[in-house]
Amino acid sequence: MLQFILRRLGIMALTMLCLTVVVFFLISLEPNLKKLAISQTESRATQEQLESWLQRNGYRQNFFVRYGQWLGVVKKQPNIDASTGKAVSRFVFCDEPDVATYSGILQGDFGCSTKFRVPVAQKLLPALGATGILMFWVMVTMVPVALLIGILAGMREGSRTDRTLSAVSIMTTATPEYVSGVIFSVIFASWLGWLNGSAASATTQGVNFYNFTLPVMTMAVYGIGYIARMTRASMVEVMTQQYIRTARLKGLSFRSVVIKHALRNALIAPFTVIMLQFPWLLTGVVIVETMFRYQGFGYTLVEAASNNDIDLLLACSLVSVFVVLFTQLLSDIGYAYLNPRIRVQ
Amino acid sequence: MNLEQIGTLQIIVSSVGRFWPVWLAIAMVMGTSFLYRKKLGLYGQLYETNVGLLGLAICFFWLFTAVFSSVIAPYDPISQIAVMKDALPGSVVPEGSGGGVYLFGGDKLSRDVFSRMVYGSQIVLIIAPAATLFALMVGATLGLPAGYYGGKIDTLLSFLANMVLAFPVILLFYLLVTPGIMDTPVPYVMAGVFFLFPIIFFCALFYTRFKNRPDRLYLLLGLTILLGGWVYLGLVFNADPLGIVSIDPNQLNIFIAVVFASSPGVFRIVRGLVMDIKTRDYVAAAQTRGETPWYIMLWEVLPNARGPLIVDTCLRIGYTTILLGTLGYFGLGLAPESPDWGTAIKDASRLLRTTIHPALPPTIALMSFVLGLNLLADALREQSLKD
Amino acid sequence: MAFYKNNGDRVPDHILEMAGKARSGEMDRREFLALASVFGASVAMAYGLLGLPVPAKAQDTTPKPGGVLRVQMFVKAPKQPRLADWTEIANTMRQQLEALVYYTPEYTFEPFLLEGWEVNDNATEYIMKLRKNVTWTNGDPFVAEDLLYNLEAWCDATVEGNSMVARMGTLADKSTKKMREGGATKVDDHTVKVVLTEPDISFIPNLADYPALIVHKTFYENGADFVKTPIGTGPFELVSFDVGQRVVYKRRETGAWWGGDVMLDGVEFIDYGTDPNAAVSAFESGEVDANYETTPDYLQALDDLGLKKSEAVTSITIVARTNVNNKPYDDQKVRNALQLAVDNAVVLQLGQNGAGVPAENHHVAPIHPEYVELPKVERDVEKAKALLTEAGQLDFEHELISSDEDWHKNTGDAIAAQLRDAGIKVKRTVLPGSTFWNDWTKYPYSLTNWTMRPLGVQVLALAYRTGEAWNETGYSNPEFDKKLAEALSINDPEKRKVVMKDIEKILQDSGIIIQPFWRKVYNHHAEKVQGYFQHPMQQLNLGKVWISES
Repeated sequence: MLQFILRRLGIMALTMLCLTVVVFFLISLEPNLKKLAISQTESRATQEQLESWLQRNGYRQNFFVRYGQWLGVVKKQPNIDASTGKAVSRFVFCDEPDVATYSGILQGDFGCSTKFRVPVAQKLLPALGATGILMFWVMVTMVPVALLIGILAGMREGSRTDRTLSAVSIMTTATPEYVSGVIFSVIFASWLGWLNGSAASATTQGVNFYNFTLPVMTMAVYGIGYIARMTRASMVEVMTQQYIRTARLKGLSFRSVVIKHALRNALIAPFTVIMLQFPWLLTGVVIVETMFRYQGFGYTLVEAASNNDIDLLLACSLVSVFVVLFTQLLSDIGYAYLNPRIRVQ
Repeated sequence: MNLEQIGTLQIIVSSVGRFWPVWLAIAMVMGTSFLYRKKLGLYGQLYETNVGLLGLAICFFWLFTAVFSSVIAPYDPISQIAVMKDALPGSVVPEGSGGGVYLFGGDKLSRDVFSRMVYGSQIVLIIAPAATLFALMVGATLGLPAGYYGGKIDTLLSFLANMVLAFPVILLFYLLVTPGIMDTPVPYVMAGVFFLFPIIFFCALFYTRFKNRPDRLYLLLGLTILLGGWVYLGLVFNADPLGIVSIDPNQLNIFIAVVFASSPGVFRIVRGLVMDIKTRDYVAAAQTRGETPWYIMLWEVLPNARGPLIVDTCLRIGYTTILLGTLGYFGLGLAPESPDWGTAIKDASRLLRTTIHPALPPTIALMSFVLGLNLLADALREQSLKD
Repeated sequence: MAFYKNNGDRVPDHILEMAGKARSGEMDRREFLALASVFGASVAMAYGLLGLPVPAKAQDTTPKPGGVLRVQMFVKAPKQPRLADWTEIANTMRQQLEALVYYTPEYTFEPFLLEGWEVNDNATEYIMKLRKNVTWTNGDPFVAEDLLYNLEAWCDATVEGNSMVARMGTLADKSTKKMREGGATKVDDHTVKVVLTEPDISFIPNLADYPALIVHKTFYENGADFVKTPIGTGPFELVSFDVGQRVVYKRRETGAWWGGDVMLDGVEFIDYGTDPNAAVSAFESGEVDANYETTPDYLQALDDLGLKKSEAVTSITIVARTNVNNKPYDDQKVRNALQLAVDNAVVLQLGQNGAGVPAENHHVAPIHPEYVELPKVERDVEKAKALLTEAGQLDFEHELISSDEDWHKNTGDAIAAQLRDAGIKVKRTVLPGSTFWNDWTKYPYSLTNWTMRPLGVQVLALAYRTGEAWNETGYSNPEFDKKLAEALSINDPEKRKVVMKDIEKILQDSGIIIQPFWRKVYNHHAEKVQGYFQHPMQQLNLGKVWISES
């Protein structure tokens, strides 16, 4: 088991390395560097000025040198002040030193966000915390509702309840966040005026029912259908098993058969599905956070991408890849743990 | 300026009426299919269930809407009639400006919301299925050997696929669909690689089957390479000698990004199916017959994997539609003024607190189309399980 | 040589002459006020010359101290003020860093950190007198060295994107990329003399522009980072600065503000993103008391919340300009045809929801003092088509490029629709704001926005003179250049108008721009907020704002 986990972690590290090279390549393309230079100088700066800025701040060094600097295997160079010839810090707002140092991922330095003007870690950690809160509430609402729908529907296959609930779950999977978000905003914010159509205040003033319900609802709805359908399928399968029939024949009530025997086995599949939902939720987070202006990870990612904030974007991709692969690992381990029949090689 | 209004009932009747070619086409296609359903295999079986009927009806509705857009839509999707700015649903266009009715009202640039919704279906129904088919080719061409041979090739391809899957889709799009990237060779290189797969796929398909019958083989191979090469030139290099096949760099970019994002999913499914099917007796039989691995993959394994693949394709078209909408919502790639649903939703959602009516038609359209595909997939799954 | 002090009681004779004309209605009053104040008249005197009382500022109750004002505004990344490319960026710093000159909502110029200025007859010599009671938040007094330090920094063309260089006129030396040797000299501790080599009547107005904020003389040596070393002269002190979230200021604690008592305990700028729905919700739930700007689509919605609206007529505009170095825009017929095919009033309606004044394709606004009204050119589709046929470009497909900012995009779409309506083929391309500016001067056909400048000659000098860095049309016309140089040196507006008429006509006839409208800008604030208003250049100076708790 330990070997298995170690191997997976190794693959994870390799994936991260490969992906960051790809991302680094894409954000170092000429148009993207220009974009960065414009945002750091003045939007109407001339081409020569942009070029000089890029040159001065080391963006014209070799691709691998820069990637190495980011990793922490090559020294980051300070700027040289043209008039005095002295070395000066490259980005003062991040307290970058004015001497050449190894300071990259391997040293625990995620770099400097040029958009937010703070060290990446200082921006990313609170954002992750904010997204954590959102995820928590989404999970808290989505999982029980989805399981309940799935179990109720799968308990008696083909019944009226089953049909209705299945229809509902199909409906919700067909409603992406940007659709349901708009519809909910129209209903609850524009027409009824019950809820706040934006979660901007949740970032600064804390989460409350008024400003946080719409984002949570919007995200949860899209996920509910999928999990519910998985649960239903799993439940249907379990209900036809021999041991359920035996239990029924023993004279146990339908209720206690479901609760005592069927549930545990029926929930194994949804567990993995829920875990594998994380990558999907990640996309949802980006849409919902942009839509409701909640300053979490998704918002940070979009801001980083649209401003070509190199270090922040790399850190964001690292985090998301880590989340995806780590939940996959957890799901595999959890699956093995829940279902003793499966042994991991 | 006060505009004349027509009543709600009239709006409903007129909008239903505008779709007359769609109703006619649906009645014809579904009517005949229903009569001959026994002879139509899996497709015919869909007519046995309500879910299947409903799914088919919705999908056909949007398909025919896309086909007959120019007949259904009373106005041009991008022309503006200034007085109709933010006009409410059912507003009558003054005679001086051409007359007629804005059935679903006007948007903030005084375009007809109804016509835009109708034309929006064209964009979705061209890109989503086409991109899904390409993803299917790419995924199948790579998934077959990965599942069949296993070993190093599987490890490598799976690693690559997982890498793409581990990548948040939005970030991928932000990186691949920015306007700046069109100045670089990246999208063209990717297009060059991806569009090669269908050609390889069909060549392999024909070669393995007909390699002992040169007369058929050369004809088919020649046709594939000629047709494929022609389309390839037009799409990748925008150098179609006949000038018929061409694609806007913008759309090429979107297309590539969508194919890139969904191929690994197909790859995983195909690989899984192959690993399952290759243990079957008929595969072993073919192996003992001395068939080449590629023949087995393409002519023994693939046809037997078709059930789940069809279901997956249905769902995937829906998912691609959602992705396209996401692109529109983030303002990535799609042409400005484009009536596609995602862009329309984005534009309208900025004004939700003042005008609501332009937001609803595209949201409902997108939702219903994806719903239709999901229902279809559901019915297909049930039917193929029965087999 | 006679010098004329601002805020004084002596003005050149031509100003007195103008007063007569303004009184009789021969000259626009706004125009008179602006010029009179540049040439030294106090507001009281300027209005007095017109025979009008000074407009009373609504101050019927005495200001009460206390309260924090929360303003909804984009919080963009802070930059050195001279690099600021958004008014919002300057506004986030403006509460602690201040300008030398203030452009009033009454369209006059008032000294701010200056106590006053004197200018010679032909606008080549300026004597700038500093306020004596100004102190920096680190305790230093505000002296001539500070001003020289800033003038030098503004003239430094080696700094990438320093937009103040263009505003400094001939004080900046093009060859050395620094301030011209001897261009600005210290007279005494509170006086600086600036000598220009060419007359420039826009020198003082330029100092009122948003990037012209005065920084402490250690600013650039300390890394040019306002957030790290916030030393300023203003009424507030920076507490925190979170990009994309909020900026917090508290009332100044070290040293007094020269402007008197500061009523507010503090100011917060809160970022609600680009979605205007969020701003409505914010007002609704009482999260903010005022906003930076209300988009025209949302005027009604905010009015309905019981908020007070404030508006300003501006010369903020957008132009759909062609670049004459690209085919077919080298042909004047094509350019004129494009102009004739567009009805500016309709574009105003669709692109800006009618909030503004239609413009006349020559980039001089009715609120500019030197504006001359030209005969109106009506939309004429037939003529446009005829011109295009003549030029053989009827089938050319134009590509109209714009940034994705809402009103830019909508205006572009509206222009494109008008052109299509006239039977001209147009393709629209929208680029994200971050990419758009990369090549903005080179696009064959695109939309560019221009911020408010108080004088008409200012933008003309920046954008349409031969070889200027911001000349995005590639336009080069020696006659135009000559006349503009002349206009920049003429004090007498009547004489200047003669030249301006030609300049406007040349520009309009050249067809290089479709300029659909001049914007009106709005903002809203809660009833309890006093002294908050929309400034024509959208600058927020909150030192005098106060909150009356009801």
